[in-house]
Amino acid sequence: MKKKQRKRSRKAEVRIPFPRLLANVLVFVAVFGLSYVWLCARCDMLGREIKCLEADQQAARIRLFNEEDRWSNLKTPSNIQRALERHKLAMSFPGSRRIIRVCRNGLTARSVALAAIQ
Amino acid sequence: MNYKGRTILTAVVMAAVFSGLGVRLVFLHLKPKKSTLSRIEKGRYLKVKTRGARGRILDRNGNIFATDLAARHLYVDQKFLFEAGDIHRTCAAVSKTLGLSWEETWTLLDGTKRYVSIRKYVHEKKIEALMEGDHKGLIFERAAMRSYPKGALSAHVIGFAYNSGVGGSGVELTMNSHLQGNAGLRIGKKDSRGRELYNYRTVDIEPESGADVYLTIDQMVQYFTEKALDELVENYQPEGAWAIVQDVRTGEILAMASWPTYNPSRFGRTLEEWMRNRTIHYTYEPGSTMKAMIIAAALDRGAIGPQDVFDCENGRWVYGGKALHDSHGEGLLTVADILKKSSNIGAAKIALRMGDEKVYQSLRDFGFGSRTGVNLPGEEGGILWSPKRWSKISITRLAMGHEINVTSLQMLSALSAIANDGVRMRPLMIRRVVDSSGDTVLESFPEETGRPIRPETARVMRRLLARVTQPGGTGTKAAVRGYLVAGKTGTAQKVNLEEGGYFRNKYIASFAGFLPVENPAISIMVVADNPQGAHYGGTVCAPAFRSIADQTVRYLRISPEGLPTEYVSDLETDPFKK
Repeated sequence: MKKKQRKRSRKAEVRIPFPRLLANVLVFVAVFGLSYVWLCARCDMLGREIKCLEADQQAARIRLFNEEDRWSNLKTPSNIQRALERHKLAMSFPGSRRIIRVCRNGLTARSVALAAIQ
Repeated sequence: MNYKGRTILTAVVMAAVFSGLGVRLVFLHLKPKKSTLSRIEKGRYLKVKTRGARGRILDRNGNIFATDLAARHLYVDQKFLFEAGDIHRTCAAVSKTLGLSWEETWTLLDGTKRYVSIRKYVHEKKIEALMEGDHKGLIFERAAMRSYPKGALSAHVIGFAYNSGVGGSGVELTMNSHLQGNAGLRIGKKDSRGRELYNYRTVDIEPESGADVYLTIDQMVQYFTEKALDELVENYQPEGAWAIVQDVRTGEILAMASWPTYNPSRFGRTLEEWMRNRTIHYTYEPGSTMKAMIIAAALDRGAIGPQDVFDCENGRWVYGGKALHDSHGEGLLTVADILKKSSNIGAAKIALRMGDEKVYQSLRDFGFGSRTGVNLPGEEGGILWSPKRWSKISITRLAMGHEINVTSLQMLSALSAIANDGVRMRPLMIRRVVDSSGDTVLESFPEETGRPIRPETARVMRRLLARVTQPGGTGTKAAVRGYLVAGKTGTAQKVNLEEGGYFRNKYIASFAGFLPVENPAISIMVVADNPQGAHYGGTVCAPAFRSIADQTVRYLRISPEGLPTEYVSDLETDPFKK
């Protein structure tokens, strides 16, 4: 009786190998699933990063426009004039008597001008 | 019912409820109704249209005259503010930031509507502190507003744009299609809080900024011109005054100013009359400046010579039953002196020698009676009737600048033709248009529009016109030290549109000229409408001409020979002695 039982249990202990195909499929599915999750997370992260950068770019653009506007306003001739007056600076273009015209290689004015234009 | 029964009943009810919910969930997931699906989709759907920034307007040297700035619309969610916010603190902060009184802000928050608009188009910088102040219930909606950093400088040329991003006048209007950007579009999904789910973004078209428009205007020349006009206005209190500076060779407008003026940022609070660009919108009888064109045409057609002598009848001449007067009675005058002393009788006799048809054709050739084609809205073409509609005396009146209506740009364009060897150029206002990627999409080049006179005639005319600013001429106050200036004064009685005829004591004074005479570089026109205290063009407008010319030639480095100084070597001190 005991012998019989031992035989049966030995039979029962026979291990059936896990199907390789199924294992491969499971591994593939697991890898695929994990990759998908990882890609999703990565995309989410990149998305957030892009949104941050978009916001930064927008803020930088706004700042640039503001500064350009301010600089342009400062460069307005009337503002420059006011600034000069505030600092008690009197500036004007030189009068014709204060302009010295220098001779260039002994050429006449007209010939130099014509040569330059041509 | 005993305890056990109640328990069973409760269990049954619970089971029924959860079964129902389960079944509903299964149906929702496996076979949802189309209407249910669309309702869900609608709730999650996100579509955002973003407006591209409007392009900038710059002068020829890249100075910004108009640009877009970030702004915010300020709203209040009153429900949220009353429930979760500190109404007193918020009210005080809003009042302080916007410069409103506490009562004004408090009145706005009356609690009747959930959302209340406090103020629209507030500069982002101004509202920055409020945005960072953690005020519950305040909503800051993004917007763009147009800014004109130069203020009123060149206001009539630049014009203004509405907050909706559409041009209303000036270059803002004519170049609207280029200045307006292309709108961007973003389609995707949002979460329950309305935040965009980036992964579900299906359409993402970036907004494209509008193109930058570069003008031919130079901000410094514009400033000289506006300053000179301010002085003229201060001295003579006219109803209006305007001036133009043009590059003779290319036709480019370097400055265009009109008084009264306005600040384009506050166009909504400006009288319509102030927004009128009188250089192209106002037509008037030019008076004696027209004599330059009549004499040029007569010389060109061989009807007269510069030294021909005409009898100016000592200042009174009756023709066609009507008397014609000169302000200073003269006897015999040469053509050169008729121009120098601005004799009406002399000019009338010259025109009569030409005949109706030739006078008409010549004036047409100079561009009168048709628009110049400058790239600004609402340009007037003036009035030049055909000879069929003329009376017997019309030709004598045309010679002295009456019975014809012109804009000052037309007049300057005609004078520039004399300065430019008889070649009439199209006045240019737009230099080029550059899109947001830096490509030039439009570029203007000098364009010839006619040759009313020959170069030889133009040369003679330049010398004749130069005598006007010499001692004994009517335009001596236009003379610029070191330069020989050619020009012509104009003084015309204003037309009385209501009663007909002319006003006895209302005048249009003008001066049009160019310099340097031998090689003209710039031409300038100054006009004053009904000046007080004096009314002659030589008295009212010539000083303003001199002020503009004197500063412009030095700023643009125009030598007395009309060439940029870097080309000049051994110029004589007085080039006119030649």
